[in-house]
Amino acid sequence: MSKSEKKSLIRFLLIYLGSTFLLFSIASWIFYTSQKHHLLDQQRDALKFEAAKFVTQLRTLHKTYASTLVYPVHSFVESAIYDLDKQYIFGTGTPAPLLDKKVYMANEKRLYYLTPVDPHYLGAAFLVVHKELDQEPIWELQKSIAWFLFAAGVFFTLLGVFLGRLFIAPMRESMERMNSFIQDTTHELNTPISTILTNIEMLETFGKCEKNDELQRIEIASKTLSRIYDDLTYLNLNHEYYRRIESINVSEFIKERMLYFTVMAEHKRLKIEVTIDKNVTLEIDKNDLTRLVDNLITNAIKYNKQDGLLKLTLTQESLSVMDTGVGIRKKDLDTIVCRFKRANKSEGGFGIGLDIVNQVVESYGFALDIHSKLDQGTEVVIKWKK
Amino acid sequence: MEKIIFFCTLLLVSLYAEESLSAKQQLQNNCLNCHTEDQIPNDLIFRRYLMKYSTEEAMSKAILKYLKDPQQKNSIMPHPFFSKFPMKEALNLNDATLKKNIHTFLETFAVKKKLVLPQ
Repeated sequence: MSKSEKKSLIRFLLIYLGSTFLLFSIASWIFYTSQKHHLLDQQRDALKFEAAKFVTQLRTLHKTYASTLVYPVHSFVESAIYDLDKQYIFGTGTPAPLLDKKVYMANEKRLYYLTPVDPHYLGAAFLVVHKELDQEPIWELQKSIAWFLFAAGVFFTLLGVFLGRLFIAPMRESMERMNSFIQDTTHELNTPISTILTNIEMLETFGKCEKNDELQRIEIASKTLSRIYDDLTYLNLNHEYYRRIESINVSEFIKERMLYFTVMAEHKRLKIEVTIDKNVTLEIDKNDLTRLVDNLITNAIKYNKQDGLLKLTLTQESLSVMDTGVGIRKKDLDTIVCRFKRANKSEGGFGIGLDIVNQVVESYGFALDIHSKLDQGTEVVIKWKK
Repeated sequence: MEKIIFFCTLLLVSLYAEESLSAKQQLQNNCLNCHTEDQIPNDLIFRRYLMKYSTEEAMSKAILKYLKDPQQKNSIMPHPFFSKFPMKEALNLNDATLKKNIHTFLETFAVKKKLVLPQ
């Protein structure tokens, strides 16, 4: 993983885990508070029940009113009675603080339940029952929530790493494509430049030799360089480029371009079959047409076999360029028009040729069909109207 | 010195006891003698006032009001009570004496004195 990928992954994880942790903390806190209330309610209900029992016992005592009144005592529960002025009358344990609330706590340790007594049996206007808060279920709840947060943290961290890798995959792919593009460009430029320099050197060294071969190689290399430059410029300036739409005689234009590539085709000893209908005319920008036709022809030359066949057919409805070259695998046919996609890396190139063709086809509303069989050849058909 | 303290304490205790005895005697003479004669249940009256007023102060006020103007409307005792027991006449006593007697009456039956924790 590169440095920038690591940086992106860490940033993503920080944001993702931070927000997830915050969300889970809030949810856990809400859950904890509600569950704690629920647990306290249960204990309060128990106290409420004890208080009802106390009131009944106070009534009995009040009715008997014997010389000695034995105050009722319940296990685990303390109680106290107060008169109407909230003055302590009697009780067990330390007299409880008397608040106006029905249920209240002291130091999160004792739970109090206050109930009014009416009629005031034994003069008691208020009864307070209280007991030590049972912390065990609350601790259990805290423990469960802590375990849940820990498990969720581990799960979401793993999920985050997985998602992060998934998200940076396109970035990694782009970077790999970029690296590959730079390597291809270096190679593509290096080959014709080397060819030109070598042949010029040969011309200088062997001045008296037959110059046709060397000149031919220099011409091919120069044309290759020129085409690379044109393609890259086209891709780079495609959106800002001003198109001059004009009526172009495609029949004449293609003859001209075929002538241009003759040297290249002859170098590979290709058999060329050209069938061109007369006066096929299109309303199109000349540069777009050049890029379209040149890429189709150069692809057919480049990926053809030695002594292969290049068949070009132009009709009023379509243009078809067929070769008997390496062909394209069936699984690559759907993506072959994507930028930097190269189904076969045996030949040089950037993988931008069919991307440019596709762009022109889409711009003018043409239709592109590619038929290919591996090791048998490829036919690219462009229908002028959909 | 010790003897002096002992005698002083003894004097104070006997004075208090005398006063207390005197207050109880006064209550007995002013109130309870008649109650005993008419078989009026003192504890029933006390419990009823206690159940309604809760504090000694409120009970004292309510009893004083009745004693100064003994009518059924000034009493908290139910109607059948007065069918069974005769309505008393107003006592010819001043407020201070009445209050003192009421206090002694309430002290006699005070709940705080009766309540105990189980052994």
